[in-house]
Amino acid sequence: MSTIAPTKPNPTDPPTSSTPPGRREPRRRSVATPPGDSRHRTRRSTVLGLERRHSLTGWAFLIPAAALIAILNFWPMIEAFILSLETGKGARLHLSEPLWLNYTRLFNDDLFRLTLGNTLIYLVVQVPIMLVLALILAMLLNDPHLRFKSFWRTAIFLPCAVSLVSYSLVFRTLFANDGFVNDTLMGLHLINEPIQCLANTGTARVVIILGLLWRWTGYNMVFYLAALQNLDYSTFEAARIDGAGPVKTFFHVAIPQLKPMIVLTAIMSTNGTLQLFDESWNLTAGGPANTTMSMSHYLYNLAFFNNPNVGYASALSYAILILVAILALIQMKVADRRD
Amino acid sequence: MSPIKKIVALTAATLLTATLTACGGSTPPTNNTSGETGNSLTVWAWDPTFNVYAMKEAAKVYQKDHPDFSLNVVEIKWDDLQAKFTTLGQSGQTDQLPDIFLMQNNAFQKNVLSYPDMFADYDKAGVDFSQYPASVVNYSTVDGHNYGLPFDNGAAIAAYRTDVLEQAGYSIKDFTDITWDEFTTKAKDVLAKTGKPLLSGQAGTADMIMMMLQSAGASLFDKEGHPTIVDNDALIKVIDTYKGLLSEGVFQAVNTWDEYIGTFVNDSVAGVVNGCWILGSIQSANDQSGKWGITDLPKLTGLSSATNYSANGGSSWAISANANYDLAADFLKATFAGSTDLYETILPSSGALANWLPAGKSQAYAQPQPFFDNEAIYTKIVDYAAKAPSNNTGAYYYEALAAVSAAVTKVTSGTDLATALQEAQNTVEFAMK
Repeated sequence: MSTIAPTKPNPTDPPTSSTPPGRREPRRRSVATPPGDSRHRTRRSTVLGLERRHSLTGWAFLIPAAALIAILNFWPMIEAFILSLETGKGARLHLSEPLWLNYTRLFNDDLFRLTLGNTLIYLVVQVPIMLVLALILAMLLNDPHLRFKSFWRTAIFLPCAVSLVSYSLVFRTLFANDGFVNDTLMGLHLINEPIQCLANTGTARVVIILGLLWRWTGYNMVFYLAALQNLDYSTFEAARIDGAGPVKTFFHVAIPQLKPMIVLTAIMSTNGTLQLFDESWNLTAGGPANTTMSMSHYLYNLAFFNNPNVGYASALSYAILILVAILALIQMKVADRRD
Repeated sequence: MSPIKKIVALTAATLLTATLTACGGSTPPTNNTSGETGNSLTVWAWDPTFNVYAMKEAAKVYQKDHPDFSLNVVEIKWDDLQAKFTTLGQSGQTDQLPDIFLMQNNAFQKNVLSYPDMFADYDKAGVDFSQYPASVVNYSTVDGHNYGLPFDNGAAIAAYRTDVLEQAGYSIKDFTDITWDEFTTKAKDVLAKTGKPLLSGQAGTADMIMMMLQSAGASLFDKEGHPTIVDNDALIKVIDTYKGLLSEGVFQAVNTWDEYIGTFVNDSVAGVVNGCWILGSIQSANDQSGKWGITDLPKLTGLSSATNYSANGGSSWAISANANYDLAADFLKATFAGSTDLYETILPSSGALANWLPAGKSQAYAQPQPFFDNEAIYTKIVDYAAKAPSNNTGAYYYEALAAVSAAVTKVTSGTDLATALQEAQNTVEFAMK
């Protein structure tokens, strides 16, 4: 069976769909470094046999995972690419004329442009705020003298354990006309009439961004916290002895050392935001007048809700893939000056 | 480090295994072998208190004459049913279909035109479709073939709180057979005297617009299926009327469906205009029993085709291409298209109103309803249903609906009407390219 959306096999949990490079490290090492005793035993056999045996062992370990990825990820992606070149009604598809018809169609699609704009707004506004917040929280929680450290860490990470759909529904209720937020503001006499948060473009977008911040800041903080704990604490102490204040320490000691992790979280967040679906679908239902609809939401509508146009939907999914790839590339080039 | 690693690895492995098993395990139930077994049918429907319940009752009725008959109703929410149906249609896996499935009337044209191979038509089923209102049968008729047996009735009703009307010096009669202009005047008066708007609705949805439009026999498409969103006199009239209701404050816009239900259940709004399936929600407020009255809709002014009747929603039973056709057809014919008993059973407990006209003559429909001031409201609604003009949904109904909803949202926030409608027209034309 073919999947129409290769870049979003699991839109409910975007960041986990990309494996952080850091996790791959141990596996490669364990394959590459042979255990000492076996090297001693196999010295009698030919060198070729030894290397072959090791590499075969390596392949044996690799194949199950690689095969699963190939079958469940790469094959549908290829199928979806072929699908994106096809057009037709329902299941009666044929290659489009010209082949890139669905892709040129994207450029004339007002709704696509609108959803692309919406998604980019979320990206540009939300990702920087979230990463900075996560970094600050991580620094605060990395303080060895902080009390109830694990409580704070758990509390801030906990939103990640909440299902995307449930938290979207909770946010929708919070910001309803007679919801908690309006009731509180009215109770404090800050406003006289309930704000129609979800009925106005600006406020509806703010609600989605707030939701995203609540849900994902803790997640990114954990990455920074892990990275900070791998740093040598003496570098911070040295900075302090040299007379650097907390701000200088943060910018000149912590940030440079955290750079790889910042790049990683930036790429993951960009990836996740471009594939945003649940919040758009559940929180605002794309409204008012489609001004909060994300690209993936539009893609879903194209494939399942409207007249099924899977060819075009696949082309859209490839557009998202290309965008993610370009942005990830830029981020890597800009941030990574190691070589 | 190493125990943690082990735990992580174990958890990952367990999760993976669990997922794989889950995938493998879920295959057999969906793989229903409907075509082969002689006396059982599988059905997809979505509402356990409504259509799933009705289906189960239908099975009981059929079992009286066919004791070895068995029915398996699978509950799938409509959105999921549509997604599943599309996936099966796209991949050509018709053998995964049940014998019978329920489909929203508004989605019928689209699905039959996109995936004709997934349906079996009613040509050989022997069902007398003249016993249904033509407006309802038309939803599921494609090229002269019937693909759906109408089930629930989406006839539109106007329901008002009689106690609130009385407070303002009106009765339900003052709101019967009126125009929207008269309605606005009276509703303003009610609002001034009681502080309660008479209508509410979800901002950004076009339910109200579509009901008004259909009440004048108009639609968003012409007979050839071309979108007629621009230069559509009825639509312009409808949007003007709707905008007037909003600006006068007699129509309260809310964000979500739950809030909408809340407006009349919680006493803040004193009336409802919607498909008659809304009665279930109205009756959930026990303290309002005896305080509601039902009548027909206001009609549009300045249009010769305007009526006081319309519809919203409704669904029909389709027989799939994978069905045990003879059994499925006979079952539906003997129950939903031939059993007054069935409709008498499901009406009081679920409010499922029959589209099948002979059932409307049944005694159960003439029973006075205490919640509605002991009026026999169901006889009334069956009458409204028969009078509702037909609506040309076309295959691109959902695209047009979304485009018009967006246009209305823009118009109410200040965009010029002609511009907004032209944009909507362009959007739909683009989708149809």
